[in-house]
Amino acid sequence: MSKALPPEQARVLEGLKPGARERVPEVAERLGMDQAQVAAAAVTLHAEGWIEVEEEPYREWVLAEDARDQLGEGIPERRILRALLAHGGAGTMAELPAWSGLDAKQVGQSLRGLQARGWASKEGAALRATPAGQSAAEVPGEDERALEFLLDSAQKDGIRRVDEGALIGAGIDVERARALLGTKNPFCEVRDKTHRWLCLTEAGAAFRSAGVESRREVSQITPELLVSGEWRNVDFKPYDVNLPTEPRYPGKTHPLQRVIERTRKAFLEMGFEEAVSPYVESGFWDFDALFQPQDHPAREMQDTFYVRTPGRSPLPPDAAMVDRVRRTHEDGGDTGSVGWRYRWDPKKAEQNVLRTHTTATTIRALAANPRGPRKVFSIGRVFRRETIDYKHLPIFYQVDGIIIDEGASLSSLMGTLGAFYESMGFDKFIFRPGFFPYTEPSLEVFIWHEEKQDWFEMGGSGIFRPEVTEPLGCTEPVLAWGLGLDRLAMLLYDRQDIRDLYLSDLEWLRKEPRCR
Amino acid sequence: MPVIGIPVEDLRRRIGREMAQDDLLVLLGDLGCDVEGLAVLERRQCVQCGFVMELAGKEEVPLSCDQCQAELRGNPGAVRELRSLEVVRMELLAVRPDMFDPAGLARAIRGWLSVETGPVRYAIGPPAATVRVDPSVRRSTSWRPHIACAIVEGVAFDEDSIKVLMKLQENLHWALGRNRKHASIGVYDLDSLQERERFEYLTEDPETFRFLPLGSTETTAAKAPNLQTILEEHPKGRAYAGLLEGFDRYPILRSATGEVLSMPPIINSEATRVHQGSTRLFIDVTGTGSRIANRTLNILVTSLLDYHRTARLRAVTLEGATPPDTDGREGATTTLVSPDLSAQTVYIDAGRTSRLLGIDTPPAELRLLLERMRHEVQQEDGTRLRVEVPAYRNDILHERDLMEDAAIAFGYRNIPRTLVPSLTVGGDLPATRRAESVRAVLTGLGFIEVMTLLLTSPEQSDRLLGFEGHPASVVLANPISNEQTQLRTSLLPGLLWTLARNRHNPLPQEVFEVAEVTFLEAPGSAQPGQGPAADTGAAERLHAGFAQIAAKTGFAEARALLEAVVRELGWPLRLRAADLPCFITGRCAVVLGPNDVVSGVVGEVHPRLLEVLGLQNPAIAAEVCIDGPPWALRSFPEVS
Repeated sequence: MSKALPPEQARVLEGLKPGARERVPEVAERLGMDQAQVAAAAVTLHAEGWIEVEEEPYREWVLAEDARDQLGEGIPERRILRALLAHGGAGTMAELPAWSGLDAKQVGQSLRGLQARGWASKEGAALRATPAGQSAAEVPGEDERALEFLLDSAQKDGIRRVDEGALIGAGIDVERARALLGTKNPFCEVRDKTHRWLCLTEAGAAFRSAGVESRREVSQITPELLVSGEWRNVDFKPYDVNLPTEPRYPGKTHPLQRVIERTRKAFLEMGFEEAVSPYVESGFWDFDALFQPQDHPAREMQDTFYVRTPGRSPLPPDAAMVDRVRRTHEDGGDTGSVGWRYRWDPKKAEQNVLRTHTTATTIRALAANPRGPRKVFSIGRVFRRETIDYKHLPIFYQVDGIIIDEGASLSSLMGTLGAFYESMGFDKFIFRPGFFPYTEPSLEVFIWHEEKQDWFEMGGSGIFRPEVTEPLGCTEPVLAWGLGLDRLAMLLYDRQDIRDLYLSDLEWLRKEPRCR
Repeated sequence: MPVIGIPVEDLRRRIGREMAQDDLLVLLGDLGCDVEGLAVLERRQCVQCGFVMELAGKEEVPLSCDQCQAELRGNPGAVRELRSLEVVRMELLAVRPDMFDPAGLARAIRGWLSVETGPVRYAIGPPAATVRVDPSVRRSTSWRPHIACAIVEGVAFDEDSIKVLMKLQENLHWALGRNRKHASIGVYDLDSLQERERFEYLTEDPETFRFLPLGSTETTAAKAPNLQTILEEHPKGRAYAGLLEGFDRYPILRSATGEVLSMPPIINSEATRVHQGSTRLFIDVTGTGSRIANRTLNILVTSLLDYHRTARLRAVTLEGATPPDTDGREGATTTLVSPDLSAQTVYIDAGRTSRLLGIDTPPAELRLLLERMRHEVQQEDGTRLRVEVPAYRNDILHERDLMEDAAIAFGYRNIPRTLVPSLTVGGDLPATRRAESVRAVLTGLGFIEVMTLLLTSPEQSDRLLGFEGHPASVVLANPISNEQTQLRTSLLPGLLWTLARNRHNPLPQEVFEVAEVTFLEAPGSAQPGQGPAADTGAAERLHAGFAQIAAKTGFAEARALLEAVVRELGWPLRLRAADLPCFITGRCAVVLGPNDVVSGVVGEVHPRLLEVLGLQNPAIAAEVCIDGPPWALRSFPEVS
C-alpha cells in the first residue's frame, strides 16, 4: 500500500541511508534542504514510526558578530594587566583609562574580572598587579583560549557557532572558561542545544520500498486551487488544534434582560397578558387602592421617593370608586372589614411617588377590567429609597402578576408560582406564610440553590384582600404576586454584588455565557 | 426590620413538648416567623442599676449603661458577667406582636402543636385604682387623648424576666406604637408610690413642672430638671422630642398626691422604676387612637400573665376618658374600665374557606384548625362558624384573616399545588415586541447590551450633553444623593458613562441599551405623535441607543449602523443635518420618522465630551425613539 506524503517528508524518508545514523544538519546538507524543513518532516515521520529520532543535548558556543573588533587587543582584564605591568605594576583608577585605552566605565566593570582571575587587587584608589598577575603576563586564561578558538574557527570557516565538544577536543577547560566569562559577556553566548540523529526503522524501510508518492501541502485554499481543480493533488497542512486563537465574542443581550425574557416567556405560555404603567405613580394606585393605610411605614419619606415635579395626580375620575376606597380604609365600607379606623386624606392619595412596586401596574389593570377569568403580568422597574450597597439598589426589577378567577385559590397560587420557578430552572421551593397589607392569605416563596446549599427568598404573594378588590368592583378571588428579578439573576449568574448588574463591565458582559 | 432573640431553653420549656432543635426552627417558619438562625448571646449586667446587656458575636460592652449612663468600658468593676444565653434570632413579625416574647410565642406554638387548643382565659379582678383623665389631653396643642391601664399583681422578677418585659415593651413601641407615636407604654413599680389607688393623666407646663426621669442619679426633688430640660438633655428626650413638637403643655401621668409616674411618650420617673423586688405593676399605654392603645396593653398584659404564672390582673377605672374610636376633639367624655380583654366576634364560612384555600375544610375540621390558632369557635347553622378572636390579636380585620389562620394551622406545606381551571390567551405588548426586535438587530451587529440606572442628575446627563437641564425632567422631592435627583430623559449619558467606566477593557467597544426614558406630560394630553396620555403628569417612552468607541470610527460608521436599525424597523432612512452640542459640527444628523417627526439623533461624539469622560479614541452614538407610530424624540430640547 502506498501513501502520498508531502514532498519534504517524502524527500527525507527517501534520502535516509539504510542502517545509518545521521544528524539533521547533515541530512539537510546532503538533500539540499532547509534544516527546519528536515526537522519538521522528522517529527511526522517519527510519529508514523518510520524513523527513529535520537536526541542528544549539547552546548553551542556562538561568537558575537563584532567580537573580532572588540577583542583586537584582548579582553579588558588583559589590557588592564598589561597597562599595569607596563607602569611598574600599579596605578590609580584615574590613570588606567589613558594607559589601557579603555574608558572609565569599562575599567570599573573589569575590576571583578581581575579579582576573579587573581591578577590584581584594589588598594584604596590604586590597583596593583598581584604575583599571579605578574606570572600570567604572557599566559592566556582558559576564557581567552576559548575565545581565540572561536575567532580562529570563524576566520577559517566563517562559522561562528561551535560545538563545545570541539573546544574540549582542543584541550580547553570549558567549565573554567564559562565561569570566567559569565553569562553576560559581550563576546560570546553559550546555548543549550539538542542534536537530533535520524535513523530509518524497519517499518520505514518497508514503507519506502512500497514506493512513496509525493504531494504538495498547502495552508490556504485559494480561488486558483479551486478553479484549476489542483486542490485534488494537494494536502492541507494540519493545524495544532490546541493552539490558542484570538477570542471572539458575539453581541449579547444583558444577563438580567435574559432573565426578564425567560420570565416573560414563562407567563405568556401560561396565558398571561402583559401590562405596563408609569414610573411616576400616584399614592392612590401605589398604596391606597392596595389598602395600605396612609400612615404605613412604607409610605414614609424615608423609604419612598416622592416626586417634586410632577408633584400631584388628580384622583381617578370614577368618584364612586374613590369613595369606596376611602370608606374601606376608614371603617371597612361594604367589605365586611373593620377597616383601619382613621380619617382617609385624599391629598395623600394625590401625592406622586416613583412606584414602589409593579403591583401598581397590576392593580390598575384590575381596576380597568375587574372581570375574570383574566391573567395579567407586568415586568418593570421599581424604586425604593435605599442606600446603595452590595444587596440594595434604589431601582430594581419586579415581575408582578394577578389571576382573576372564580376558581382561584391558595392552592392554585402555589401551583402557578411553582410552575414559574420550575421554568426558571429551580425545582425545589417552599412557601411560607408571609404578611403584606394587601393580600390575605399571604405567602413568601423560597427557592433552593443547590450550589449554595441555601434557601433564598424570592418575593411575596397572596390573594388580594376583599378590601382591595371589592372597592374596585371585583368580586372574584384575585391571586397576586411581586417577585424580585435582580436576585434571581444574581443566583442564575452567580453574582455576589447586585451593583454588578448595572455597572456594565464589558469584560463580564462579553464573557458571561448565554446559557447558565 | 428589627430582629429579636427568643431564649431557646425558655421557649422549649414553655412549649412543654420535646422536640429537636431543627424541628423547632422549621415549625417557627411554618408559623410565618422569619427565622435567621441560632445564636449565643453573652450577657453583662450593669452593677450600678442592674440593667442587663446582651452582646452578640464580637460585640463589646457599650461605653455607658443605656439605663443609668454609668461608664462601663474600661471600668472592670462596673459590669457583672451573667451566664450566656442561646437564642433563636428572627425578624419581628409586625402583624403578630403577640408572638414577640417567649410566653406569647409559646402560646401560639402550643396551639399549633395541639398541646393546648382554644383560648386562654384571663381573669380580670375588680378595679383596684382610678385614673382621672384631664380634658387638657384633648387640646390640640397637648393632644394625646387616649389612655389604657392595668394593674398586674404577683409577678416575680429575675434578671431574665425583667429583660423580657423591657424588650417586649421596646418591640411593641416599634411595631404597634410606630416608635411611640401611636402608642407608648409605661410600666411602674406600684409599691414605690405612697398613693396607689388614685391617679391623674393630665398635662403640665414645660418650664415649671419638674421630676427625676429614669436614669437620674440625683435624689433631691429640688434638683429635678423641668420637662423642657428633660426633652433637650435626656437621651430618650432627644430621641422622641419630635412627638411633642408644637405642644405648649406636655402629658404627665401622676398619682393624685403628685408623685410622677411618667411623661408620656418620653420617659418614666426614676422613683417608679421596676426592679427585681417589684411584685405589683401599674401599666399604662397612652396614644393617639383607642384601638392601638388597647391592643398594645392587651398584648403586654396577656404576655405578662402567661409568663408569670402567679400573676393576677386587676382592672383600672378611667374617669373622664376620651370615648373609644374618637379623636377627643368633640370634648365628650366617658367612664371606662380597662383593660378590655373582650373577644372580637368574626364569622367565617367553611365552604368559602375551602374554595379560597383549595383544600377540603368541612366545618368540624375548620373549627379544629382555628382552635389550634387559639380562637374560640362555635358552629352555627350550616357551614357558618362564630369565632371569638383573642383580645391580643391585632391582625384580624375580616373573615379573610381567619382563612389565613386556618391555612397556617393546616400547614402551607400540606396544601397541594394546582392551577386555575380556566384557559386564557396570553399576549405581549407591541412595544415589548419592538424592543425585542431592536435588541436582535443590535446584538446581530455585535453590540453588547448594557443596563444603566435610570436615576441621574443634571450634572451627569444634561450638562454632559451640553444643555442646562431638561425642562421636561421628572424631579425627585427627596433624592438620596446629588447624583440621583431626576429620571433620565436620554439613554446617551448612560451609554457614554459606560464607555468611560470601561476604559481598561480592550477596544473596540460597542454597547447599546433599549429602555424607557421619562418626560413630563400634561395629564390627559393624548395628541397624535405626542406620546401616551399620563394621568400622573409623566410618562415613559421606549428608546434605543447605541455607542461605539474604536481606534478608528466616525460619522459614516454611525450612519451605517443607524441605517441598519431603522431599516429593520421598517422605516425609510431620512436624515437632516443638525447641530447638537454633544456631536461634532457637520457630523451630526437628526432622523425623521415615517411621519416626518424628529425621532432620533446620530453623530460623532464631540471631543469636549470625550475629554470629560477621559476617553482617548473617537466615539459615535445614536438614539432613537422606537415607541408609538413613532413619537418624537424629546431628549434634546433644542431639536424637538
